[in-house]
Amino acid sequence: MAQTSPLKFAQSQPDHARAGAIMALNGMFDDMDALGVLRHAVTELLPADLAIVSSFGADSVVLLHIVAQVDRALPVYFLETGKHFVETLAYVETLKETLGLSNVVALRPDPRDIARFDPDGTLWETDPDSCCHIRKTEPLDATVSGFGGWVTGRKRFQTTERGVLPHFELTSDDRIKVNPLAYFSDADITTYKLKYGLPEHPLYNMGYKSIGCAPCTSVVAEGEDPRAGRWRGLNKKECGIHFDFNGAIAKPMAAQELNLYKDGKFIADPFRAWAEGDDPGSVRYTHIPLPVFLANREAVLANPHPVGLLVSPGDNVELVRDDLGRFASVAINFPGFTDGRGYSSARLIAERYGYQGELRAVGDVLADQVPLMARCGITTFLVRHEPTKKALADGKLATVDLFYQPVGKTEVPVGTRPFLRRAVEKV
Amino acid sequence: MYRYDEFDAAFVRERTQQFSDQVRRRLSGDMSEDQFRPLRLMNGLYLQLHAYMLRIAVPYGTVSSRQMRMLAHIARSYDRGYGHFTTRQNIQFNWPKLRDIPQILADLASVEMHAIQTSGNCIRNITTDQFAGAAADEIIDPRPVAEILRQWSSLHPEFSFLPRKFKIAMTGATTDRAAIRFHDIGLQATTNDLGEIGWQVWVGGGLGRTPMIGKLLSGYVAHEHLLAYLESTLRVYNRYGRRDNKYKARIKILVHEEGIESIREQVEAEFAEVKGGVLTLPQAELDRISAYFAAPQYELVNARSVDVAREKILNPFYGRWLERNLNAHRQPGYVSVTISLKPVGGAPGDATDTQMEVVADLAQRYSFDELRVTHEQNLVLPHVKVTDLPAIYEVLVKNGLADGNAGQITDIICCPGLDFCALANARSIPIAQELTRKFESPERQAEIGDLKIKISGCINACGHHHVGHIGILGVEKKGTELYQITVGGDATEKAAIGDILGHGFVAEEVPNAIERLVNTYIARRESPAEPFIAAYRRLGKEPFKEALYGAN
Ligand code: SF4
Ligand code: SF4
Repeated sequence: MAQTSPLKFAQSQPDHARAGAIMALNGMFDDMDALGVLRHAVTELLPADLAIVSSFGADSVVLLHIVAQVDRALPVYFLETGKHFVETLAYVETLKETLGLSNVVALRPDPRDIARFDPDGTLWETDPDSCCHIRKTEPLDATVSGFGGWVTGRKRFQTTERGVLPHFELTSDDRIKVNPLAYFSDADITTYKLKYGLPEHPLYNMGYKSIGCAPCTSVVAEGEDPRAGRWRGLNKKECGIHFDFNGAIAKPMAAQELNLYKDGKFIADPFRAWAEGDDPGSVRYTHIPLPVFLANREAVLANPHPVGLLVSPGDNVELVRDDLGRFASVAINFPGFTDGRGYSSARLIAERYGYQGELRAVGDVLADQVPLMARCGITTFLVRHEPTKKALADGKLATVDLFYQPVGKTEVPVGTRPFLRRAVEKV
Repeated sequence: MYRYDEFDAAFVRERTQQFSDQVRRRLSGDMSEDQFRPLRLMNGLYLQLHAYMLRIAVPYGTVSSRQMRMLAHIARSYDRGYGHFTTRQNIQFNWPKLRDIPQILADLASVEMHAIQTSGNCIRNITTDQFAGAAADEIIDPRPVAEILRQWSSLHPEFSFLPRKFKIAMTGATTDRAAIRFHDIGLQATTNDLGEIGWQVWVGGGLGRTPMIGKLLSGYVAHEHLLAYLESTLRVYNRYGRRDNKYKARIKILVHEEGIESIREQVEAEFAEVKGGVLTLPQAELDRISAYFAAPQYELVNARSVDVAREKILNPFYGRWLERNLNAHRQPGYVSVTISLKPVGGAPGDATDTQMEVVADLAQRYSFDELRVTHEQNLVLPHVKVTDLPAIYEVLVKNGLADGNAGQITDIICCPGLDFCALANARSIPIAQELTRKFESPERQAEIGDLKIKISGCINACGHHHVGHIGILGVEKKGTELYQITVGGDATEKAAIGDILGHGFVAEEVPNAIERLVNTYIARRESPAEPFIAAYRRLGKEPFKEALYGAN
């Protein structure tokens, strides 16, 4: 008989050996041994299968100088968005020459896309995501798939989100990212440039610290995050593409609204959260907080629309035991994933009170807690955390499918301890 | 000893893979430290002052030679050549690299070991009497039930995010060597009116900043209902334990604030719902697990005892070792041997990779392949023929493991303190080292007799200072490390929390302060047969207070 998992996830089959081998590489090199890291990547790890995207920005020269020492013919892709400063284009030529890079390739947007979406060149103003999409994502996408790995110039200090960055990483699409400069600080970059007398980007000394396309780059103030100058004023941190200027993986374009994981897929959530001023007697498709329900019990029971119940930590589910049948959905709130009260509430509702409707988790729903929630009887998950969404969508949840203890009314005891299996069969 | 079946092995393998995946996501930046933290903690991985610290579970303190050799291998290959045995009968390594963790866990899994639930707000490793299954004063070997509890609590989906950590200790003997009254739940084997063996359940004991002695929750729970009873207790705690303040989140505070009667009422109500359900333990399963712990094939030994007095004359060191480090065995001709990890000037509980290998060899040759870790941070060869003692002693001497000081003033429990621990206020290991030097002389130690000193580097009390006959607590006052001394604690069935007698001392003064306490005891005891703790109980605080601070 097949192993029965309480969730209908595709079984995860991560290649642990490969992941482990790559992780282990992170211990092999001194923090600052960028050259060693890159050499290992070029000669051992991914010979003839490695490339780099460079922005030819303010800091790019350091990485390119290291590339030149290892392999001058390494493919260096440059996103020629058509929106660059002339200084940047000149700088590309300077570096090609001084460093002797023989394989710099410009990637240009499809002219048909430009004609169609950005005929007058002002798309960046109204819709930078789309602008980036046609000028960077599309041109790069085709190229990316041709390589097993990429060298990036990312550094830990760069932005607050990048505080931890290893030399080698395995990305979710199973490519290897090599970050030789991971441990370099701002000062290290400056020192390195001075030490080797490397040519500076012409705009650098004018206050541009992170240089992208001309319209989207501004001067960074002293002490500001270097990347703060990019897309200043817009609520945009990274290009909406797989690689930004520094070759970093960026966030997906727009958050999808399909947040509800149910029956093995993500769907749009018909329910919404309770809001101040809602009328318990007439709301529809809303999870009514348990205390609100208790205070307005008659009104809710008389409400003709489908409604749900929101159970938060500290709520006494015993008090609604006889009313559960009224609700089309019961949401267990996990305001922080470390608060485990919801697990007990869920078991009581599902097991002891035999609730048959949709039992969902809302709040801080994370990949590593989902299997535990499922075992406690939760069937549906409102997920906002992107890696969790991805793990669920890809069936890549890291689970332990063997259970020592019987939990849940639906848990088939195959794979549980023998005595528990026997005990369940008696029931 | 318990042996993994296919299921256990697969479980640990899956869990190891799961955690390796989590480590990978952490290293790749897919997971933030905030998200990683509770997961790594559930897998025994702490971030300490200087490095990661990995704590490996030694279920109920029992290890085989093969496992001990693997621990030696880990110490050698991934750490700095030593490991530290803890008061939870676990072992921790202080210098592993995050990138090595998956491989370490894989190595451990190959010998049926893991780091699951050695930290985090979940049910921790279940500890027990280090002489379980061997001691002469035992009602029942607690390990089969401990193993069943280990299984029940492993990755329990409802109890993985409790308000705070949860520690269970149990003993099957009449003498409590497992400090069960100072655990969240303590289980004491007992017999009911019909002569059947079951469990007394104590709840709400603990140390830390609010030390409490456990209270009796139930006078008798039968084996078959124990899981249901514990699940009921944990559910009450999970739902109602405080989560607003980390320092008030242990079950002892819930019990203290709500009162034991109210807690008992809630637990009983919950128990009434789950009793007789899927958690009922069939006798057949208990028998199946008990078979793993069947007594080894003892040999008939002609010599029944050792003539300690005679040996003392021939070789005083060996004689003292015999006198202090043996424990009576249920099998005639056998004893349990305590291997002291408390050499003079050493860090209590540390063992080098070579010492681990040596001890593993001894266990293989002389103790049916079995070893124990004690909560007092020593090791034990549980089943040794008295005729093998000289040979064992000889090997121990060669490897710096022959200190005959079990239970004496230099057999100190000590937490890692400021040398390793991120939470510490003060150093604790150097204090222990100073004290062992001060009381180095074996004659002096023999004169003092049974005296347990326990040292913690901060109020979290990992070094159990509250229950030391003499306890030492590191505190920080205006930037200097001070040491608060307590007297009169006791971790046994005569459970007591030590009294604070006055202000703290700077490190340099501690050894002399302790010596004054000791001298007072020796001067005032009725006879050498009256141990320190008994004398303290009889005499009260005053003479000891005067010893520390002078007459007012
Ligand atoms: S950086 Fe600005 S102009 Fe350049 S592609 Fe992105 S949005 Fe368009
Ligand atoms: S008692 Fe304090 S200093 Fe010692 S190990 Fe525990 S937390 Fe660290």
